[in-house]
Amino acid sequence: MNERDDEEVLRHIQPLARIAASNSFRERVMKAIAEERARENSRTARGWKSWPRWVTIGCAAGLILLLLPMLRVGGGPERSSGAALLAQSAQAMSKVQTVHILGRIRTLPGDNFELIGAEYDFVPIEIWREYTNPPRWRVEKPGRVVVMNGQTSTMYMERSNSAVSGTPNAGFIEWLRPMLDPQSILENELMAARKGAAQAALSKSNGVIVAAVSRQAQGNFANDWARNKSIAESDHRCLYRFDSASKRLEGLQVAIAVAGKETVVAEFTDFRYNEVFPETLYALQLPSDVAWITDRPSKPAPANLNGPRDAAVFFFNACASEDWDAVLQVRSETSVPMGIKQTYGGLQVIAIGEAFQSGLYPGYFVTYQVRLRDGYVKSHKIAIRNDNPEQRWVVDGGI
Amino acid sequence: MTAAATLQIESWPQTISEFERLVEATQDELVQFAFYRLGNRADAEDAVQDVYVQAFRDRDKRRHITEVRPYLFRMVRNRCTDVLRGRSRKPAGQGQEAGAGDTLADMLAREEAGEFARLLDRIPEREAEVIRLRAWSELSFAEVAVAVGAAVPTVKSRFRYGIEKLRRLLNLEGGMPR
Repeated sequence: MNERDDEEVLRHIQPLARIAASNSFRERVMKAIAEERARENSRTARGWKSWPRWVTIGCAAGLILLLLPMLRVGGGPERSSGAALLAQSAQAMSKVQTVHILGRIRTLPGDNFELIGAEYDFVPIEIWREYTNPPRWRVEKPGRVVVMNGQTSTMYMERSNSAVSGTPNAGFIEWLRPMLDPQSILENELMAARKGAAQAALSKSNGVIVAAVSRQAQGNFANDWARNKSIAESDHRCLYRFDSASKRLEGLQVAIAVAGKETVVAEFTDFRYNEVFPETLYALQLPSDVAWITDRPSKPAPANLNGPRDAAVFFFNACASEDWDAVLQVRSETSVPMGIKQTYGGLQVIAIGEAFQSGLYPGYFVTYQVRLRDGYVKSHKIAIRNDNPEQRWVVDGGI
Repeated sequence: MTAAATLQIESWPQTISEFERLVEATQDELVQFAFYRLGNRADAEDAVQDVYVQAFRDRDKRRHITEVRPYLFRMVRNRCTDVLRGRSRKPAGQGQEAGAGDTLADMLAREEAGEFARLLDRIPEREAEVIRLRAWSELSFAEVAVAVGAAVPTVKSRFRYGIEKLRRLLNLEGGMPR
């Protein structure tokens, strides 16, 4: 039998009538989605901390009882009593008013909070979290700070003198987000283990309870450019350390495995509970000439951009001719940061490669090689994405 | 070509406006698919609406999915299966009534859907599902593979076996030239 015979059979079950969605269907769907969004916001606004403490503790204890069967408890000199220890930990954490966390991460100063790399030096990082209602927090590392004042979160990037503002849960601090809720870290990790996304083990030794959680790298690595550039995109192991007397989280170490070698890329060693924070912590003082990043380019879209590579070519050509208005057509900023003008103005394009995707990044990477005005030849990958409301291609990083 | 077939949807939408574009581009083909599976407009639109809301709810964990369109078909297929299972627990006849707002096209499609179901219910379900996706949508074999969660060669062989069985059924019924 050939394809024509197949088509003959298929014709017997191919619709003659053409069914389209009702005129009001899209409106109904979008209303249902808006209601779902409202429910999400409501859940977020209520938050874990605004539940009565007894509910929080009860839920945590119940969850722990559910999770316990999948834990390998033991491995240390003294066996953990499992559920009791975790329930006590949840109860202890529920009494916390503030937490001030100090640590260090292998990353580049000023770069995003997601970036890590075994080859980078450690840079310090500091987190302040206040369990008020609404909650407030601040996360800071050299060159980059995020403040959430209870209503909005704002991130300032010193190198580019630019800032961006968003909802309280805007993803500015990326993988560090769980650190703002130490009381639910363990439950989240163990839940992941229960779903098969991680392996977890619990032990108690020398007055310290240690939870070890290992996960495989997540993402698409047909091109492995993004592999090992963030915690989630690395095979990694987290060691959470809880004080066995107070049952509070007092340490976290994250190691990634690269080519069979494990390297610690993040560690938080100082957890200070119930400090009183000054109000100024949540008031971000921004320079008057700060460039604000919006969710869309401030200039009209350039014509004939058919994809990420086109956007990369457009961006570098605009830099080469120092046409900063054109640069703004593919940047989500109100003005071009001086750093970009000084570094990339007058560059010479040597080569621009094809776009590819890698890891968990929702956009594309495009390989480029340019000669900067000072003669330095820079070879890197520019990050381009179009997951904005207008689906416009914008330069997101890699410069 | 449908609007969705021409629109490149390469990443799972994350914002309300992105979902609006997705709904605009895919609603007709998904409703048509669900209609032929469930036999009436009301159930079809309810099923597809449920899928869109679920797609929005899970947008974060699905952000790595690049084959958005076939994945939506997969979700609709699963949702339709749930509806059909629910119907099988109800007294016969419930769940396939004509709706008050049915158009002539709806009535014709309902008759067709009944006829298709009569044929496809007589071959193994995993072969029938591949044939439905090929016949009722514009999905390629690679996209059908995403929609049913199987490898492309597996999908092609299921299609081939299913078509052979349908051919024999149609021959027996005198519905096909020999």
